[in-house]
Amino acid sequence: MKGILFALLGGFFITLQGVANSRISQDIGTWQATTLTQGTGFVAAFILMMVFRDDTWKQFRRVKPLYLAGGSFAAIVIFSNVTAIHLIGVTVSISALLIAQLSMAFLTDSFGWFGVSKQRMKLPQFIGIGMMIAGVLILSF
Amino acid sequence: MLLGILLALIAGSLVGMQNIFNSKVNEHANSWATTTLVLCLGFLASLTLGFVFEGSQILAFHPMQTWYWFSGLIGVGVVTCVVQSMKRLRPTVAISIVMASQLGFALIMDTYGFLGLKPVPFTFKQLIGVLIIIVGIVLFKSNSREEKQQKEIAS
Repeated sequence: MKGILFALLGGFFITLQGVANSRISQDIGTWQATTLTQGTGFVAAFILMMVFRDDTWKQFRRVKPLYLAGGSFAAIVIFSNVTAIHLIGVTVSISALLIAQLSMAFLTDSFGWFGVSKQRMKLPQFIGIGMMIAGVLILSF
Repeated sequence: MLLGILLALIAGSLVGMQNIFNSKVNEHANSWATTTLVLCLGFLASLTLGFVFEGSQILAFHPMQTWYWFSGLIGVGVVTCVVQSMKRLRPTVAISIVMASQLGFALIMDTYGFLGLKPVPFTFKQLIGVLIIIVGIVLFKSNSREEKQQKEIAS
């Protein structure tokens, strides 16, 4: 039950993040908003890392540099998300974003990219993606 | 309309890739160290791209509401809640609920014009669209890799 509550709250925070960034960008500009939220988030996470005495950053050197760089994508993610919310609203933006996210997972699993073990996609996955696209079309038009 | 959808699709594919990369980091480091690294790089990348596209304008001072300074805490909330839910539920179940919740709250925030959004009037069509997408997510996530791995471990 607690797990479900955390998951629901997690989803709420993800959507709120896009909407809050979108609001902030109206006042100070989109790149500024992106820099501000990532910067203040970094400071907060750094403080929490110190509080919880998490010194596992020492293990970063054992991770492939490409994988370490994943965080930098956030700049383009937030910029695109904020601009999309301005253009088409929250619901359609999040829907399209989720489709692309799951399609990416689909491709990664099918072709075994990035050292992920290969996985044959079955009928439910194809129907699932199809339904999601149908849903976005219903929302958009 | 199309530009908006295209941008959302770009964001989504990068989120998908970032999730994989971040989880690779998380295999070696704990979640706070991982979060700190991810946000640090996000900050540096935003600052750099801001300079590229807007020059020194990126550092110009704008009047801000106080809560803007705390907006980064939302990201900390995201990580905490998602990590905690994944610990307590099967990963596929957790992610399906997170995604469904994202869409549900998107619909609510659009409807009420949350935080100065232009309100998008709630219609039956929208509810149907969101429900179809949620069923699609559950179908897509059903019987996928993580659960098979768990079964293998269990057997």
